[in-house]
Amino acid sequence: MSAPHSNPLEHPEVRQASTWRYLAGFAATIVLMQAALTVTLRQHLPYTEYTLTIAGLALASLLAQAALFFGLDISRAQIWKSVSLVLTVPLFILSVGLTVWMFHSLMQRTMIMPQNMAQPTMLQ
Amino acid sequence: MQVAIQGPWSPLLGRLTLSAIPYTNPILVGTFAVAALIALVVAGAVLYYKKLGYLWREWLTTVDHKKIGVMYIIVGLVMFFRAFVDGLMMRTQQAMAIGPHSPGVLGAQHGYLPPFHFDQVYSAHGTIMILFAATPLLTGLTNVVVPLQIGARDMAFPYMNALSLWLTTAGAILVMLSLFVGDFSSAGWVGLIPLTELPYSPGVGVDYWMWAIQISSIGTTLNAINMIVTIIKMRAPGMGWFRVPVFTWTTLSTNIIGLTAFPILGVVLALLGADRYLGTHFFTAGNGGNLMLYTNMFWIWGHPEVYFLVLPAFGIFSEIIPTFSEKPLFGYTTMVAATFAIAGISWAVWLHHFFTMGAGADVNGFFSIATMLVGIPTGVKVFNWMFTLYRGRLTFTTPMLWALAGLFLLLVGGITGMMLAIPAINYTVHNSVFVIAHFHCMVLLVAAAIFAGVVYWFPKVFGFQLDEKNGLMFFWSFITATAIVFTAMFALGFQGETRRLDYIFNPAWRPMLWTEEAGMMLYLVSIFYFLRMLYVSLRDRVPVASDPWGTARTLEFLTHSPVPFYNFAVTPQVNARDELAWRREHGLDKAQPEAFEPIHMPSNTGVPIIIGMLSLTLGFGLIWRIWWMAGFSLLAIIIAVIIRSFDKNLGYELKPEEVAAMERNLATASIIAEQPARTPLTEAEAH
Ligand code: HEM
Ligand SMILES: [Cu+2]
Repeated sequence: MSAPHSNPLEHPEVRQASTWRYLAGFAATIVLMQAALTVTLRQHLPYTEYTLTIAGLALASLLAQAALFFGLDISRAQIWKSVSLVLTVPLFILSVGLTVWMFHSLMQRTMIMPQNMAQPTMLQ
Repeated sequence: MQVAIQGPWSPLLGRLTLSAIPYTNPILVGTFAVAALIALVVAGAVLYYKKLGYLWREWLTTVDHKKIGVMYIIVGLVMFFRAFVDGLMMRTQQAMAIGPHSPGVLGAQHGYLPPFHFDQVYSAHGTIMILFAATPLLTGLTNVVVPLQIGARDMAFPYMNALSLWLTTAGAILVMLSLFVGDFSSAGWVGLIPLTELPYSPGVGVDYWMWAIQISSIGTTLNAINMIVTIIKMRAPGMGWFRVPVFTWTTLSTNIIGLTAFPILGVVLALLGADRYLGTHFFTAGNGGNLMLYTNMFWIWGHPEVYFLVLPAFGIFSEIIPTFSEKPLFGYTTMVAATFAIAGISWAVWLHHFFTMGAGADVNGFFSIATMLVGIPTGVKVFNWMFTLYRGRLTFTTPMLWALAGLFLLLVGGITGMMLAIPAINYTVHNSVFVIAHFHCMVLLVAAAIFAGVVYWFPKVFGFQLDEKNGLMFFWSFITATAIVFTAMFALGFQGETRRLDYIFNPAWRPMLWTEEAGMMLYLVSIFYFLRMLYVSLRDRVPVASDPWGTARTLEFLTHSPVPFYNFAVTPQVNARDELAWRREHGLDKAQPEAFEPIHMPSNTGVPIIIGMLSLTLGFGLIWRIWWMAGFSLLAIIIAVIIRSFDKNLGYELKPEEVAAMERNLATASIIAEQPARTPLTEAEAH
């Protein structure tokens, strides 16, 4: 530990930080989350469209947090963190993908519905 | 938006009333008396010897990774003991409550624990053992050892390290508090759903369980970040990736698991909290909820978590076996690769905890095969250890014995795990005590590794050895007890005994249940020897050399015992994978530095413990729905964080003369020595 490193204000990623990006990140996240909550509470979208909508909103708010709030980009100071975040993508694919698969299979086997019934909605 | 709750509520005390204090329950009153007595004795001793200032300055406000590690281990041992008593209570209830004619005492129909209490005991046992005993014990060991092993002065973020400790401690205190104020959850350590939902568990038990885990797992996540950064950024010069000791490698992979998996636990508990506090329906049966989603998310964290426990244990074995075989570890590269393979696969197997959910054969088949794949890298590891032992010059010290016993437990646990991984078998033994016996082999392997590690590194930290004679007695009684209890439990599992029974309907199980109880008595004997080992070692305090074992191979055994608080007087230059062994071969292990340089150290701070205690009151307020208390605590935490971020303390510097003096008189630099107040650096000095 050499002494100059102990001043946090001199770290390059701190130098890159900007107040407006923090605030914008904060605002964007709130708006997107609120939108997802509203869509959920209103319950007027059909099941598939609804799922896609909230998934899209979740992705957008994740990006807003990463890019605006945490200021992740490909600059020298931040590339390391950006790459680490990207490296977790396989875990998302594994956990979300396998979950979708197993619950789809579960649904077909345990929630057998008469042919003429409508698609399952959120309330089922 | 807030949901209605049963029973009284007042703005001042929330749900808290006098009836929450179990003063009519003789077991709990007795426990309280003992706990209060111990607390009084400890507090009295601290005041009598005028150690309060020392305790505050040197321990409670410390940011030293070794002291933090030691405190983690103390918390872990206390919680280990508490959860052991829970285990003893369950075994005793099952040994008593057999058949319709078995008598009942203390208000129980059979045995001495009514179902309501029995259920809390098993829930507390599992929750504590996994999250408040094994996890802090391992975190403590990695905290102590990893910075030393990579030649660093401290962790990357010493302040955050202290914060992690106090968050974990706050969670542990909440669990303990539930003994005397209110109840604990009855829904098992996994939080059986929908039992944890408000209509089925209207009391505060589930809230205790949920918030205690939530708070402590934030600590674990922060610690994971700290460890990862420390290992990546703070290795001594010359320590390239292929010279990193295996324990450090396993710590790295463990904490990658921790960092990626613990947030899922946080989310699933937060969603459960939303159900319980805000009236949402994430996991209810009906109203759009799906209760299997809870089980699913719990195990997405839960299975990686079991590897979070077992990988550091593998790392400990990989340090101890070469030391006491006097040979380098066989197959270093494959060992590291196997570690990361296990960590990777552990992300794709979680459904094996609920094969019986009813997913299709394709899904179950996929997860069955994925689970079995874990056996390949695990097998690689076992063979590497075997080849390290093969034709080695073996010495059977206690750490070595613990490690070898751990290999046997791994074998039994691993093979029964493979059996459980076959859905057709799993359908017949799921939720039987066969599963309990399987994972106790595994977690007792972790316990064995912890004891091995504690005995192995204790002299490094404190400068004297733990007594081998009592240590051996402790080992043999503990391992024999394990064999007795869990062999009987496997048999009962095959006979169809299901888990979590407060009453045994089948008298044919009596012989095996009594065998288990006999094993528990032997565990009591082992605790006696453990305490005696501590007592004798503290009494005699035989000083040891920098390498107490004489054959250690890694960097932490290069510096003095006891380790000075600055770790290494001069940052070592690393020349080989087993640096100490390399230096011994080249006659350099006794070489001392000629000149010293100034050492820059972080200053102590009281902020972490204050934030920890505020999260305790935050948790307490949320559990009892005392909104003002929760609100103020949260606000105070935010204020404390803001104040801390404006703190301009730049740490202090040890002058070369000071270092030289302490190197001559090591007692003044050991972690139990009291340090003089040192003035922090000024802005000008730091530049
Ligand atoms: C060879 C590797 C392993 C395999 C194949 C394996 C397999 C399994 C399976 C299939 C189950 C589910 C049983 C059931 O509920 O029906 C299970 C449960 C469990 N295993 Fe393992 N396991 C392995 C290693 C471990 C390790 C290393 C640990 C911990 C250090 C562990 C801890 C547990 C725990 C805690 C449970 C039960 C949790 C509960 O339901 O309360 N396992 N194991
Ligand atoms: Cu598992």
